[in-house]
This record gives sequence, C-alpha cells and structure tokens, in this order.
Amino acid sequence: MADRGLSCAMKASYQDFRLDAAFSVQEGELACIIGPSGCGKSTTLQLIAGLITPEEGSIILNGNDIMQTPVHERQIAMVFQDYALFPHMNVAQNIAYPMKLRKVPKEKRLEEVNRLLSLVSMTEYQKRKPQELSGGERQRVALARALASQPQLLLLDEPLSALDAKLRKHLRSEIRRIHEETGITTLYVTHDQEEALAIADTIIVMQGGKVEQVGSGEEIYHSPNSLFVATFMGEGNTLPYNIIPRSVISQMGGNGFLFKPLEGKHTIFFRPEHVIIQDDETLPLPEFFTHLEFRDAQVVGCEFQGDHFRISLLWEGHQIIAHAEERPRTAKVRLGIRIEKIREFLNGQLVIKN
Amino acid sequence: MKQQDGGQYKGFYKAMPAPGAAVLLLLFLVPLFFTLSTAFLSEEGFTLSRVQQTFTSAYTIRILLFTLYQAALSTLASVVVALPGAYLLANYSFRGKRFIRALTTVPFVIPSILVVLGFVIFFGNNGFLNQFLMKTFSLEKPPIQILYSFKAIILAHTFFNFPIIMNLVSSYWEHMDMHCEMAAWTLGARKGKTFRTITLPRLLPSIISASTLVFLFCYNSFAIILVLGGGPQFTTMEVEIYRLARTSMDSGAAASLSLFSILVTSFLLIWYNKSQKMLARSEAYTTSTKRLDKRPATVAGKVLALLYSLATSLFILGPIASIVVRSFMASTTRSGAESFSFRWYRQLFAIERGTGHMGSALQALTNSLAIATIVALITVPIALTMATAIRKKGFASSSLELFGMLPMTVSSVIIGLGYYIISNRIRGGVSIGYTLVVLAHMVIAIPFVLRTILPEYRKMPLSYAQSSLTLGAGPLRTFFLIEVPLLKGAMITGGMFAFALSMGEINATLTLANSAIVTLPVVMYRLIGSYNFQGACALGSVLILVCSIVFIVSELAKGESNGR
Repeated sequence: MADRGLSCAMKASYQDFRLDAAFSVQEGELACIIGPSGCGKSTTLQLIAGLITPEEGSIILNGNDIMQTPVHERQIAMVFQDYALFPHMNVAQNIAYPMKLRKVPKEKRLEEVNRLLSLVSMTEYQKRKPQELSGGERQRVALARALASQPQLLLLDEPLSALDAKLRKHLRSEIRRIHEETGITTLYVTHDQEEALAIADTIIVMQGGKVEQVGSGEEIYHSPNSLFVATFMGEGNTLPYNIIPRSVISQMGGNGFLFKPLEGKHTIFFRPEHVIIQDDETLPLPEFFTHLEFRDAQVVGCEFQGDHFRISLLWEGHQIIAHAEERPRTAKVRLGIRIEKIREFLNGQLVIKN
Repeated sequence: MKQQDGGQYKGFYKAMPAPGAAVLLLLFLVPLFFTLSTAFLSEEGFTLSRVQQTFTSAYTIRILLFTLYQAALSTLASVVVALPGAYLLANYSFRGKRFIRALTTVPFVIPSILVVLGFVIFFGNNGFLNQFLMKTFSLEKPPIQILYSFKAIILAHTFFNFPIIMNLVSSYWEHMDMHCEMAAWTLGARKGKTFRTITLPRLLPSIISASTLVFLFCYNSFAIILVLGGGPQFTTMEVEIYRLARTSMDSGAAASLSLFSILVTSFLLIWYNKSQKMLARSEAYTTSTKRLDKRPATVAGKVLALLYSLATSLFILGPIASIVVRSFMASTTRSGAESFSFRWYRQLFAIERGTGHMGSALQALTNSLAIATIVALITVPIALTMATAIRKKGFASSSLELFGMLPMTVSSVIIGLGYYIISNRIRGGVSIGYTLVVLAHMVIAIPFVLRTILPEYRKMPLSYAQSSLTLGAGPLRTFFLIEVPLLKGAMITGGMFAFALSMGEINATLTLANSAIVTLPVVMYRLIGSYNFQGACALGSVLILVCSIVFIVSELAKGESNGR
C-alpha cells in the first residue's frame, strides 16, 4: 500500500446494486476508472469525494484516513459531468470561489484566477457567464475551478462525455497536459475505452460494482485477465476452444501446441488486427509460426474505415472480425491467427499457462 | 421552393386566427378607447387638464404610494412565510407532501370574494379562530381583532398569495440539480455557506419572478381591499377607480386614474416579463437530474416539518372550511345563538322566501352559471384559433401573442370601467347589461385560456401536422382530425379555467353592472356588506363546489394529456 497517493477499499449497497471496490492510485498519477454504464464508477467517485458514505471501508489519501472527514474538508476537488458551474457567477467568480472560502487575499486571488485561466487557455473569458460558454469552454472553467482549491486529489466524472468527438480528442490531450503541469493525483471516470487508453497511466476496469483489473493501458489491452475486460477494451473475436484441433497448423515442429480442453465454458479470444487474410487460393498463408488456420471463411461484410478495412467473416457458423489493409478480392478467404496472440478463458477468466 | 412552415397553406394559417383576433380587438380596444376618450374629453372638447391634474395631484400620488406600499409589504410577508415551505417541499419527501402541494395550487383558482369571505369568517372578531382561542383559553374578548384594518389587508394578501410563491419556488427548487451544491462542498464550502452563496442565489430568479407575480396580484387587488380595508384611508388604485366611477359618479376622473394605473402596471409587467426571461435563462442551464428524496433527519426537523404542514393546511383550508361550516348555521333567535340549519340553502334555492339580498340568490346562481358557460364556450375557440398562428416563430406571431396577452396589462376593474362607460352611452336594458358582463369576462378570460393552450400547442411537434398533410388531408381537416384531438386536454383545462374565472369574477362585474344585474359574487358582496355572513357562506359554498369540480376536471384533463 502506498502511503502517498490514494488507496481505498469501499463497500456500499443500494436497492439492487452492490459496490465492493478496492484499488490504489499512486501520487501524481492519472488513473482512469472505466466500465459500462451502471458499473458503479460514478458512485465510486462520489464515495471518494464524500458526497455519499460507504457502509464500511477505508479511504486513505496521502497517509490520512479521510473516511470520517466531511466533504468540504477533504481537499478533493471534483469536475462534474455537467460541470456544475455556478450560473449566477461569471467565470472569474467561479474560479475565485474556492479561494474566497479559504480567505485568500483579493490580489492573490486575481493573480491565481489569471494563472489558472491561462493554464486552461481561457484568459479572455473572465467576465463571461457560464450560460454564454460552449460545452468545451465550460469544461475548462470547471477544471480551473477545481484546481483553484489546490486539491490533493482531483476527480473527473466523465468530463468529456457531453462534447463532440473532435473536441473530446483535443480536450483529453489538454487534460493530460494540465495534469503533467500540475502533477495532481487524478482519478478520471469515463466509459470511452479509447479515451482511457489515450490518457491514463493506470486503468481501473470496473463491472457490476467490482474492480475487474488494474493495469497500464497496454497490459489491459494485450493481457486482459477476463473475457469481459478483453471485449470491453476494444473489439475481439471469441470462439470455442474445441475448434483448435481442426484448425491448428504447426509447421516448424518444435514449438508444438498442446491442446488441453478444460471443464466449463472454455473459449479463445483474439483481436481483429492479429487476423491474417489470404484471398489467393494458390498462395499459402504468410505465417510460419504455429497458428490456427480457418479455411473457406466467407466474407459477409466489408467496411471501409479509412486507415483499414473492417471485414466480417463467417467460418463454420462462427463470426470473425478481421482488420486488413486491403479489400479481399474473393468471397472465400483463408484466415490465420498466430497461436501466441490467442488468449484462453475459462468461464470468462484468463487461463494462465505455466 | 421556399421551405417555410405553412408553405402553400400559408393563407389558411393566416386566416385561422383572424376572427378570434378581431373579436378580441373589438372587445378589448373599444372599451379602452371609450375609457381614454372619457379621460381626454370634457363638455368643451379635448382637454389635457383632467389627465394632467390626476397625474400630478398629491391625492393620486398618495394612493399610488399606498398601493405600492401594501403590495410590497404583502409580497415580503408572503415570501417570508413561503420560503420555509418551499424548502420543505423541494428537499424532503414526507407523508402528506402531495396534499400540501395540491393545496398550494388552490389560490390559483379561488375567487377573491371567497378569500374575503373566508378571511372574515375565520379571522373575524366572531370568527372560528377567535371562538376557538376564547374557548381554549377562556378569554372574555376575542384575542385577534384585525378586521377592517391595514393588518387585515396584509394578512389576507399573505394568506392568499404565499402558496403561490411556495408552489412556484418549490417546483423550481425541486428540479434544480444538486451538482452545484456538491461542487461547492468539494471545493471546501460548509452546508450553511453553500446555501448562502450557491443555493440562494440560484433560487433568486424564481423568487423574484414569483414575488413579482404576487406583487402584481396585490397591486391589482380589489375585493380584499374593498371589503377588508373598510374605509377611504386604505384605498388602492383599483378601489379608487371603482369608487370614483360608481360612488362619486365621476367617470372622467376614474378614466384618467385608469390611464395612470395602466402606465404603472405596464412598468410592472415589463419587469415581470424580464424576470420571467431571467428565469427561463437560468432554467435552460439547469438539468433535471432527479434529486435524492430524503426524510427530515432530526426530531426537531420532523416536528418543524409537521408544524409547518399543519399551519399551511390550517391557513389555506381553515377559511374555506369555515365558509362551508358557517353556511349550515343560522341564529334561531334575535340574540344570535347559532345552530345547524338549512335555512340559507332553502332561501338560496327559493324553497323559502329569501330575506334581503338572499331574494336574488337563485337568480344570481343561474345567471353566473349561464354567463360562465357562454364565456367558456366562446373563449376556447378564440384562443385555439389564435394559438394556431402564435405557436409559429416569427415577428407576426410574436406580435399576435403580445396582443393576446394585452388584456392582462389592464386590470379587470379598468375593463369593467370601459364597459360601464359604454353602457352609459347606449342605455340598454338588462339584457344589454348581461351581454356586457359576458363580453368583459371574455376579455379577462382569453389571455388565461391562451396561456393554457399555447404551451401544449407548442409542445406538439410540427411533424404531426406535416405528416397529415403529406397523407392527403387538407389543412382544415388536419386541424380538426389531428391537432384539435391532441389539444383536447388543454382545451378542457382552458375552458374550465375560463368558467371558474367568470364564476368568481367580481372586479369588472361590480364596476360595470347596475343593481339590476346580479351574479353570484356580486350578491355575495352585497350579503357581506349587509352583514348576512351565513347567507354569503351558502353562496360561497356553492362557488367552492363549482371551483372544486373545475379544479378536479382540469387536473384529470392534465393527467390525461400527460399520460399520452
């Protein structure tokens, strides 16, 4: 357990929902909580902020247990999904509000407001009312206001969900930049996996009130430890394990593949970008390591995505999604997938091979 | 091709509101024209002196100041009484909350003559409250002696108006999301500080808007001042216009005072409009996230909530209930001991010969029912056809909307005065008199009906009518087959509103009608004036019954249209 940063373990239950989450975030880190709607990610944030109280558990921030600390003394700032800018105050007044509460002298306050506004690139907007700002501008002001309270922890509740796609991409890099400049430990809730992968040091995947996996973006994407995490973080193909004997090709001998079915729902999983397509019957698959080969896969759909084609295929009644740089020229193709790109799951949990 | 709403059917949509608008124009502007011409004309022809004198005299200024003063004080008292209730309704769920909420809508439909009567019966020297206090604490004299004084005016206005503020502010408050408050907490503000710096300022637009409405009501208050003020020292603009026209028989002075009053009211209305816009702006920013329902936590909180709810119910229901109770009482002997009796109802329904003004009670009841029915049946189509044009965007429709709301700028006493001046010119019989009453009630009712139908009409997507047109129905059939059925609920509510308004209308009726013309409120007023309170209560109970039916039917119609 780190003594700097956040470490929490909380239990809470509501009508038909139980939350039981434990995780920690290191000081200065930007961590993302991600999960489908209703997984308890926003509840987790509200528990940490103190807006709701857990039944039991502990929240330790920089070495202090803040479970019993009232909201306003926690020094945890939060940016709400709808930004919650005070409609009766202008931008400068909104940002000055937390400093006013702390009785920061007026000159210092003005200076801070200016500094924060330039940090979020909004210097021209001091006198505007929140109603006169666009969504992206509101978001920046809300962030500046949260920073003005000099929090030990910054919580962001889906801060970009109300904005359009292009602005989202821009603002998320802005948030990352501001995070690097301020170095405040940040917990960021989102349901957008691309956003999480793009900005987080650590990703916390939640489902049904529980933490599924904690790790860096690469770990989560490439080594998901459950089928849920695998399919939630990006696209993937799930097939029954028992198709392997029919499709496995082991050429170089040596690193032969050991087929070992297990009791239960035993499945394999692989990403579309790891699928190799051969549309020329006369040529072999360009793959020399041990791999699975699906002959006579039928192309049922082909979407142009700009930088690649997303191809839907049907092989022995199983749907397979593949990414390719070129459109397949025939309706029947051969697919290959290298064995080391395959993850094995038993009843949704990763099977660890020793 | 131009992509415009209406498109090729523009002519139809232009023609639709014309008859209604023409009728309203005639009904509203003609009497206003007569009023103004009376103000500017004397035997020698056009003159400014009368208006000039009215506008500058110390007497007018004194009346104006008193009117503003009593309105301000009443509004302030209403706000102070209403805010705790608004807090309770908006933030907590408790047993009886729905009942209290329903109660707060009562003042929107209750006629002012009932307020006056209930007030006298409940708070009067011999009223139920005093009787109760005297019995409980065995007092010799009634402890509350406020009737016919300035205090009575303020108290009656507060009793009448605080539920309005409670209703409007609490519904705004309830839909205000808690995120701003939560944000303030996370930024380091305590609960008290958060309330002062965040919640209260956010509520302010709704408080200002509701107070302005109440201020307008108190400014235009007529029956309450007339009866409870009890003398020339407590006269307001409205009462003075009535007094000048009908007691001093000086129509010219009344007309020029009306002109003055219209100017003041216009300022108030501009301010009200501004506050409404402010409210709309702040509401646009408020998201409607459901707030957490919670119950009062501490014992003290629970007791306070209970006490406040009880007091509210007592203040709203007490006077109304006492009207009903009192209507079944009559003194058997001259000395005045009262016992249960159907006497007033027997007199009302002419089973027994009526004493005094009770003689005209049945006539008044049938008159009022007939007038109200006619008013409701005519105003709904007028408002509906006008709404077809107003709901569209654009300059023409917004000016039409403004025109439709115009009668609101002129108080009903002034409308009554206009018709009174007309009736003096044409000198018709009783039937002409009743016709004028109907016309005056229509002018008063149209803006309200319009305000009921218009929002529902605007909520209806334009695509309904458009798809009907593409399916082959002409604009007229589209109107009758699609739009009218969809607006049924709003039309019923609007019609009921007009009916209730007409049933309880006294300001214009009293100002314009001569003694031969009787309506329910007028007879009630006369009964109160001759101290036959029980008789007035019997009529009042009938009025309460009618208003309750109207209230229930319109609530049902509302529920139906919401359920769609």
